[in-house]
Amino acid sequence: MIARSLIVVMGLGLVPALLPAQTPFQDTVTDVNRKMAKLYGSGGFRGLPAYGSGIIISPKGHILTSANHLIDTPDLRVHLYDGSRYQAKVIVIEPVLDVALVKIEVTDADEYDRLDLPHFNVFEAMDAPPAQPGDWVLAFSNQFQIAVREEPMSVQRGVIAAYAKLHGRRGIFDASYTGDVYIVDAITNNPGAAGGALTTRTGRLLGVIGKELRNTLSETWLNYAIPIHARVETKQEDGTTRVVTMREFLEKGPRGEYKPANVRKKERGIGGYHGIVLVPNVVDRTPPYVDAVRPDSPAQKAGLQPDDLIVYIDGEPVNSIAAFNEYISKTNPGNEIVLEVRRGDRLISIRMTLDEHPRKDK
Amino acid sequence: MTRRWSVALCCAAWLTGVGVGRPQDVNEETEKAIKQAVARVSSSVVQIETSGGTELLGGSGPNAVIKGIGPTTGVVVSPDGYIITSAFNFANKPSAVFVAIPGETERRVAKIVANDLTRMLTLIKVEATGLKVPPAVPKNEIRIGQWAVALGRTVDPNVNHPPSASVGIISALNRIWGKALQTDAKVSPANYGGPLIDVEGRVFGILIPANPFAEGDTAGVEWYDSGIGFAIPFEDVLAVLPRLKEGKDLRKGVLGITAASRDLYSTAAKVNTVAPESAAAKAGIQPGDEIIEIDGKVTRNQAQVQHALGPKYEGDVVSIKVRRGMEEKLFENIVLTGPLSAQSIAWLGVLPKRDDPELGMEIRYVFPGSPADEAGLKAGDRIMQVGTVAAPGAKEPPLVPFSGRDQLMQFLATQPSGVSLRLQVRRKDQGEKTETVTVRLKDLASTIPPEVPLPSSAGKALERPKVPPRPMPPPMPGESPPQPPGAPPRQPGESPQPRGGRPGPMPPIAPGAESSPPNLAERNKAEKGLLRRTNEARDKEYWLFVPENYDPQVSHGLIIWLHGRGPGGRDADDLRDIWENYCEKHHLILLGPKSENESGWVASESEFIAETARAIMREYTIDPQRVIAHGMGLGGQMAFYLGFHSRDLIRGVATTSAVLATQPKDPLPNQRLAFFIVAGTKDPNRMDIARSEKSLQEKRYPVEFREIEMGRQYLDAKTLAELVRWIDSLDRL
Repeated sequence: MIARSLIVVMGLGLVPALLPAQTPFQDTVTDVNRKMAKLYGSGGFRGLPAYGSGIIISPKGHILTSANHLIDTPDLRVHLYDGSRYQAKVIVIEPVLDVALVKIEVTDADEYDRLDLPHFNVFEAMDAPPAQPGDWVLAFSNQFQIAVREEPMSVQRGVIAAYAKLHGRRGIFDASYTGDVYIVDAITNNPGAAGGALTTRTGRLLGVIGKELRNTLSETWLNYAIPIHARVETKQEDGTTRVVTMREFLEKGPRGEYKPANVRKKERGIGGYHGIVLVPNVVDRTPPYVDAVRPDSPAQKAGLQPDDLIVYIDGEPVNSIAAFNEYISKTNPGNEIVLEVRRGDRLISIRMTLDEHPRKDK
Repeated sequence: MTRRWSVALCCAAWLTGVGVGRPQDVNEETEKAIKQAVARVSSSVVQIETSGGTELLGGSGPNAVIKGIGPTTGVVVSPDGYIITSAFNFANKPSAVFVAIPGETERRVAKIVANDLTRMLTLIKVEATGLKVPPAVPKNEIRIGQWAVALGRTVDPNVNHPPSASVGIISALNRIWGKALQTDAKVSPANYGGPLIDVEGRVFGILIPANPFAEGDTAGVEWYDSGIGFAIPFEDVLAVLPRLKEGKDLRKGVLGITAASRDLYSTAAKVNTVAPESAAAKAGIQPGDEIIEIDGKVTRNQAQVQHALGPKYEGDVVSIKVRRGMEEKLFENIVLTGPLSAQSIAWLGVLPKRDDPELGMEIRYVFPGSPADEAGLKAGDRIMQVGTVAAPGAKEPPLVPFSGRDQLMQFLATQPSGVSLRLQVRRKDQGEKTETVTVRLKDLASTIPPEVPLPSSAGKALERPKVPPRPMPPPMPGESPPQPPGAPPRQPGESPQPRGGRPGPMPPIAPGAESSPPNLAERNKAEKGLLRRTNEARDKEYWLFVPENYDPQVSHGLIIWLHGRGPGGRDADDLRDIWENYCEKHHLILLGPKSENESGWVASESEFIAETARAIMREYTIDPQRVIAHGMGLGGQMAFYLGFHSRDLIRGVATTSAVLATQPKDPLPNQRLAFFIVAGTKDPNRMDIARSEKSLQEKRYPVEFREIEMGRQYLDAKTLAELVRWIDSLDRL
């Protein structure tokens, strides 16, 4: 009982009263703010802000930020924590990670030599274990352009709500990044916040705050950051698979040696042949009920029956005929798929190997 | 074991207090404690997937609520597989529900058992044993300021990971009229149905969207992630569990009164009307009574009455003390009824002569056997004033003058069926002499008059009524929506001028109809004939048929024709040929929007249809009481959808060969909706169509059902003539 009432006291925020000298995050915030940059570039139309945030990752002014419209300009400007202002230029963009590397431009050689900016050690940050759901975090960004010149970034406190992969197909649209993200319970992803920093309570860099995106899983705005240890497998134009990592990007990028992935354009074929005839697709989300099964088809061989309701393919929920067809369009003849179907009150697993589409006989 | 962290936290706080520990220690301990709490309850938080269902839940344009496709969250409430969740998660009426339980390899098929309609919760059931029910925080231990963590299963597909968590505190108790806790943790579709837990892993409540001034399964979604979130106390959930398990939906307990004032806080809770057959009526509560105590708790104003009655269920028993004149009366053991939503619209039994700005309203037709008929009213008589009948012993309230159909309809909407009204009537051909008759209103019945006398209009639609219309009072929360807000009490001797009259809810007028006064000259220039047009903004096509005898001074009915699969708007000529004569005689305009896809309509196109209809209502003189959605087959299904989702626009739905796919929503007294359903005797869906009629009738909508000797064709001549009379009598009152 005593313990519980103490919790109540803490919840009421009385603890700071016991600590007159210092607030819990003061040192962290002061330190991190010196490693942040305010970016100004293109925008100011169609609701796109002309301001943004960046993370300083080298003493010579390399800045990690979000790959958005803002940097698409020859007149990119950076304001640092001390009020100093620089022009900057884009070094390289990696759409697969949705990040860009920009660098402040210092023409005077002496000034360049003297340049020794406070910065995040990104490699140290990558080597540290990833944050876990429930970890307290801080988010730093110039959302809504509240800060100018030497004014500090807006800092928010929250927890890691989840660390999860957001399948572009299923979860979010318009997102070029498809890897895992930190989802935060504070409302961090606002206009101008992209490129800001997500850190631990103690100021260790965890990730780059992403663009504003809507999560179609819940039809809500997402609050997330792309992790500093991000790693995504992607299919390239030439058919090879490449592992795109933040590490490689940040190692080679500053040296001008990084080559962005050559992502293969999304292609949609007809997919492999299953032989399932679904019910007519009449409403927005017609559930994928099996209407009939073609003779001698993979579906028939696997034992699929009319009135089965297809619920998952390979563990992915398919809650409409549209979702089913989209999944199938990405398959090829010879692929094995596992369907989970509802038959009566039971869910049963059905495994089938997709075939070539039968040729239309005369 | 369960307390270990708190001891640690205690120490940390203690150390900090004496200046030894660093501030970070406190954060670290809190962080750890919260993670442990989440881990403790994790196995009781399940993931719910659905299949099928609609995409759009309601609202329109930027306010549209779209149902996400991701999984949602539920909480185990009994070891044998009962799971409670938010009704929001099924608001799109999915056709199948599945549940993934932490620690189990297979997902399970779930059945929806029952809904708690007062708290917007749904109980589902899976076949399972040995599930873990998390402990509840006793309600009397919940304090504002306690840590509160909201958990959800949407973002991470893996149910064996901890659920996603948002950390906040308890912000308030007794919200949403005494039913919910409030928290500043982020509550959204990503965790509706999930638990709000304390730092020991006990459950405060079940997260739901809610808004104290709105009802329904999507009310409150607009506040997602705002720091204003709500949860139904878990103790309350567990308490009603046995009733939910019986499989019957729990509805709110209704007393059946309307309040005399719209002011929630500064006036005493005085009763204005007592609904016939309601709990209040049976107990003997009367209009004029002042409610001063509920269940022994003093109620000084209406808000306190709502707080006391808000949490009650149908069948709950309350005791109410009222002040009546000088005495106080105690009514004990009042058994609350369910919502009087099925309460039908009060009906006089006449058709109005339309478009008449003069004082009063001429009767065009009297329905045989209706209250008006019984009172001896005849076609051609003119109702000049209307008033209620005083309670026994009280002074008769004065009669109120009005102008035209809409104002009388507005007055009637405030009256429950079964009450008596006094009507001052000027008889046909008897000059200025008036007499006063008393009629007892009945339920609005679905009857189609055997003939409708013409003309239907006085031909002055664009003239201002002699008695100015009154503004719409704000809706009153609590007992709404079925009960119209009561009118303010009138002082004895007050002038019966409109200024002191009895405002009631205005029949909602489509936005187009209430904008700037229409200009006769401009309206005269309106195009006639069969017009093919494009909605430029949306790049969508529609056609319009305006009869050659169109007169802007006569209000027209609007038939929105929703084509079936195939014709895709190419049926304009056919429809024109069928309808042309009727359009001229009965003043009807046909509107034929064209679907995006040849294959048929999708729900989201209702937006474009409604928008187009409103544009037509601005351009032509359209009677908002006679806008109907009409369609065949797939088009008929769209007509049903439009009817339920554009309540402010559609007054009638006429379908052939169409099955009502969803559960009908409740009728609203100030937004009438009638149905005309036709099935072919050879239609393979005949049984399902007949069932549609039944489910609408259960909700007490006025429904006409016809079977015609054919398969799936358009109406025969007889039924078509009936449909025309039905449209012409939609504004009966």
